[in-house]
Amino acid sequence: MNASLMSLEIWVIALGVVLMLADFGFGLAPERRRFLAYLAIATLGTLLITNLGNYTTGTAFNGSFVEDTLAVFFKRFFLVAAMLVLFMSVEFSDRIAGGITEYYSLIVFALSGMLFAASANDFAMLFVSIELITITFYVLTSFQRGRLISLEAGVKYLILGALSSAFLVFGIALVWGTTGQLNFNKLALVAAQFETNKIFLLGVLFVLVGLGFKIAAFPFQIWAPDVYQGAPTPTTAFLAVGSKAAGFVLLLRVLFTALPDIAKHWADLLIVISGITILYGNLCALPQRNLKRLLGYSSIAHAGYLLLGVAALSVSGQAALLYYLAGYLFTVVAAFLVICVVMRHLDNEDISALAGLHQRSPLLAVTMTLAMVSLAGIPPMAGFFGKFLLLKAVIQQGAINHNHGYYCLAFTALVGVVISLYYYFGVIRAIYWSPNTPDLSPIPLSGPVKFSVCVCIAGMFWIGLFPSVVFNLATEAAKALSL
Amino acid sequence: MALSDILPDILFYLFAALTLLCGVLVVANPFSRNPVTSAMFLVLTIISMAGLFVLLHAFFLAAVQIIVYAGAVIVLFLFVIMLLDLKEEQRRKIKLFGAVAGLVSVGVIMIISLKALRAARPGANLPAPQLEGGTNALGQLLFTQYVLPFEVVSILLLVAMVGVILLSKKDLK
Repeated sequence: MNASLMSLEIWVIALGVVLMLADFGFGLAPERRRFLAYLAIATLGTLLITNLGNYTTGTAFNGSFVEDTLAVFFKRFFLVAAMLVLFMSVEFSDRIAGGITEYYSLIVFALSGMLFAASANDFAMLFVSIELITITFYVLTSFQRGRLISLEAGVKYLILGALSSAFLVFGIALVWGTTGQLNFNKLALVAAQFETNKIFLLGVLFVLVGLGFKIAAFPFQIWAPDVYQGAPTPTTAFLAVGSKAAGFVLLLRVLFTALPDIAKHWADLLIVISGITILYGNLCALPQRNLKRLLGYSSIAHAGYLLLGVAALSVSGQAALLYYLAGYLFTVVAAFLVICVVMRHLDNEDISALAGLHQRSPLLAVTMTLAMVSLAGIPPMAGFFGKFLLLKAVIQQGAINHNHGYYCLAFTALVGVVISLYYYFGVIRAIYWSPNTPDLSPIPLSGPVKFSVCVCIAGMFWIGLFPSVVFNLATEAAKALSL
Repeated sequence: MALSDILPDILFYLFAALTLLCGVLVVANPFSRNPVTSAMFLVLTIISMAGLFVLLHAFFLAAVQIIVYAGAVIVLFLFVIMLLDLKEEQRRKIKLFGAVAGLVSVGVIMIISLKALRAARPGANLPAPQLEGGTNALGQLLFTQYVLPFEVVSILLLVAMVGVILLSKKDLK
């Protein structure tokens, strides 16, 4: 038994418990509770440096837990995301009526679920880690109990999440029933002989349905806009970044570690899903006026772009996906940080609230502009190079396989990018060129907000201008998959 | 053919039909829109599922199913239903679009599953499986091979507990 491999997970869970008990034991004054969040951020930062700085690869618990380059890539990703989200929740704490300490500790518990997802190497771990993430998010989504819209988002997420879990479990049961294997590596050895077994394929399809819900891919995207809009802003950010990335790491493992032979036959299905997801997300985002809802639809579109990397069925596609996710992390968190600070006193996050932001707070205006530019995929930001790599991987694969579907998919993605320019620049226009700016009072920024905003900007530029570091890490990570 | 050979088959179809029938009656009972009736049909669904577990030799699971779900969880359900004022719920009409969409998707999934079943013909030439579902075997697996998922579930339960308290407590400070 190689349990020391999961020391990171144990530390994170211990941190969650400590956070929960600290407030209980000391009875901290409300304004002091933010130090608990800073404590959590410091601990996670230390773990990021010490624990993931020099890691050992291997498997534990009969191969159900794996620590490889892919797992480490995603663990770093999740730790950075959780730290930024914790900064955001400190800023958001005045809007949460009670239980802010529990909010921090639930974020840490959701993080532990994501870490387990990054290392999951059998279907039992896959299911348990997904449930840990999702159930934590049910609570995090409905945390603003006083707001009807937050409760509504929580209930919608709960019902649709339970339905997708049912599909996932049913799929796992069918896969297990036909092959007798839960472990991904063992499944890969026997999967080829079940290639024509319809029940097995149905099981795999149901598993993909469950994972498709997590990443909000068409046709399982219905929940995303409502939940993104209703949830407290830090929850939305964590949902958009962490939960989606957890879905993608599991999707990669299932398709390319466990079922590489099956995945090869499903290129067309993945191409179609990816294309429709891109178009759906971008077209539905066009008429949106609520900024969080707009980002919800845009996150559906980005799930489609990320699926390009899955549909390419190649190492370069997977590496491009990981690279894109890294850029997406800083971009989306930056956008939500601005929403969190600017729309403090507003009931709905209408785009018009951004009017005159460049006079109220130049830093936030620049951040939002850069985030939108990066999401739209304009050089030199992170989003441009990511989209470029994804398209390159898809076109390469099209040339190798002579599959015209890949060219159509690349064209669809380009159309999607052009459509998205319209609504992303609508946001920028609202900041700088709004005709009526009712409120021009300056927005005070606290130190931690300035710091996290600067981290996000630095991340966007660093990944966009110096892609080699992250890209090498992503390529290394993609090599851990067997396809 | 002796009765003992076909008895498991008969019982399987009986319990499976009961599970499905009662399951439908939980959500769409044409005779009553009373939540209490739904909850009682849920009890019947769970009990017939426990029957299915027994047929798979999963005796422990069957017992747990009855004690925990049919017993404790349903009692809780009934308490909540009776404490809440659910008259509004009774009057609510079923939306046509939702019903049609639901029926269509269930129908499609059913057709796909049936086709898959017919194409695969599971068990056509397989030996009878070795079934072992006693407490002993379950415990062995749970504490050796699946100990990690088992421990992670404990965190999940902690999160669920904290969440329930947070969302239901009257006033938080």
